[in-house]
Amino acid sequence: MATPPKDPSPTIKQQRAEKRAAQLEAFKKKEAAAKRNRLLGIIGAITALVLIAGTVTTVLVLGAQPPTPQEVDDELVSGDYRDRLQVFSDVEAGHVNTPVDYDQTPPIGGPHNPAWLNCGVYDVEQQNENAVHSLEHGAVWITYDPAETTDDEIAALVALAPTTYTIVSPYPGIGEAMAISAWGAQLRFTDVADPAVEDFLTEYWRSPSSPEPNAPCTGAIDGPGKVS
Amino acid sequence: MTRPRGRLVAGLVVLGVLVLAAGFLGGRLSSGTSATPTTESAAAGFLRDMQVHHAQAVEMALLVRDRTDDETVRTIAYDMAVTQASQSGAMYGLLDAWGLPQRSPQPAMTWTQLPALDGSDAAHDMDPGAPAGMPGMATPEQLAALRAASGDEAVRLFLELMIPHHEGGLEMADAVLARTSVPQVVSLATGIRRAQEAEIVAMRNLLAALPVAPAR
Repeated sequence: MATPPKDPSPTIKQQRAEKRAAQLEAFKKKEAAAKRNRLLGIIGAITALVLIAGTVTTVLVLGAQPPTPQEVDDELVSGDYRDRLQVFSDVEAGHVNTPVDYDQTPPIGGPHNPAWLNCGVYDVEQQNENAVHSLEHGAVWITYDPAETTDDEIAALVALAPTTYTIVSPYPGIGEAMAISAWGAQLRFTDVADPAVEDFLTEYWRSPSSPEPNAPCTGAIDGPGKVS
Repeated sequence: MTRPRGRLVAGLVVLGVLVLAAGFLGGRLSSGTSATPTTESAAAGFLRDMQVHHAQAVEMALLVRDRTDDETVRTIAYDMAVTQASQSGAMYGLLDAWGLPQRSPQPAMTWTQLPALDGSDAAHDMDPGAPAGMPGMATPEQLAALRAASGDEAVRLFLELMIPHHEGGLEMADAVLARTSVPQVVSLATGIRRAQEAEIVAMRNLLAALPVAPAR
C-alpha cells in the first residue's frame, strides 16, 4: 500500500500555530515598546518636574536676598570695629531755634537748627545744633580736642575725610580720643591711622540709616573758621 | 525581578540628582544676568564719583542763579541743578539697592584703570592731583570767587568753570560706557552725555554773548 507522499508544506493546523506565535511575538514586542515608552514618559515627566523645581528653587534662593541697606557686610569691615562702635536707636529729629542739650558729646543726632552747617574743614568750634542737621543729611563729623591733637594729626584727619558730606572741626573738651560721628552712631579713636575709621566711613558716610540721606550738605551756612 | 527594579530605582535617583544639579545651574545662570555689580566695579566707581562731580555742579548752578537776573542763565542753571540732583539720587539709589556703600574703597577715578569691555581702550588718563581727583572739578578758591561775584561777572565765572566741568563729566561718562554693560548705568551715562554735550554748546554761546570782560 502506497503511503501518501509526505507533504513538505505545513498543515493548516501548523500554519495557524505559527501565525499565532508570530502574532503573540508581535504583541509582546508591542507591549514591551509601550512599557518602555510609558517608562520614558514617566522619567521624562519627572525630569521636567525636577528641572523646573530646581530652577525655581535656585532663582528664589539666589534672587530673594534683598541686601539690608542699614548695615554693610561684615566682610567690608575689619577687626574690632563692631565692638567699639556705639549705635543709638530712636534718635529724635525736628527743628528748633533754641540751644539743645545733647545726650552725647559730640552729639550724634537730636533736635537741631533749621540751617545745616555746610560740610568742609573748620579750624574753630562749630554750633552743635547746625552740625547735627548735617548729620541728618548723611554727613559724618570728625572732631578732635585741639588741646590734645597735634597739627600733623589734624592734617591726617583732613586727609582721610571724604571731600563731600564730611565736617572736620575742633571740639574742645572731648579728651584724647578723637570722634567720628554720624546720625545714630559714633566711634572714638586715638590713632589717626586706625582702620576702624575707614570702616565707619564705609558704613555710615551718606548712609541710608540717616533720616534724610542725599539731602545737601552745601548751600546753607558756613560756620566760622571755614578752611575748605 | 527585584534586581532590575533596584537598578532602575538607583538609576532614577542618580538621574534625579543630575537633573537637580542641571536645574540649579540653569537657575544660577539665568539669575546671573541680574547679578549686582561688585564694590570695585567700574559701575559702582562711576556712580560714586559722579555723585561728587554732580554735587559741585548743583552747588555752582544754584550759586549763579542767586547772583544774576539774566533769565536765560537762570533757566539753564535751574535745569542743571534739578537734572543733576535727580541723577545723583538715581545713582545713590542704585548703589543702595545693590547693597553697596556710598563710600568708595579706592581713590576717585580708580575704576577708570579697569580694562575696557572691548579690550581696545587703554587705561584712562588719570590726574590724581586734580581737585577731588576728577576731571573738570573747580577748586575751593574758584568756588569762593564765584560766591563773591555778582551779575555778569558771576555769569562769566560760572560759564568758565562749568564748561570744563561738563567736559570732565563727558570724559567720565565715556570711561564708564567703555567699561560696563550694566543697563541702568549705561542709560544714566548716555543721558548725562546727551544733556551735557548740548549744555556745553549752549554755555559757549552764552559766554560769547557776554559783554567784554573787564580786566581782572
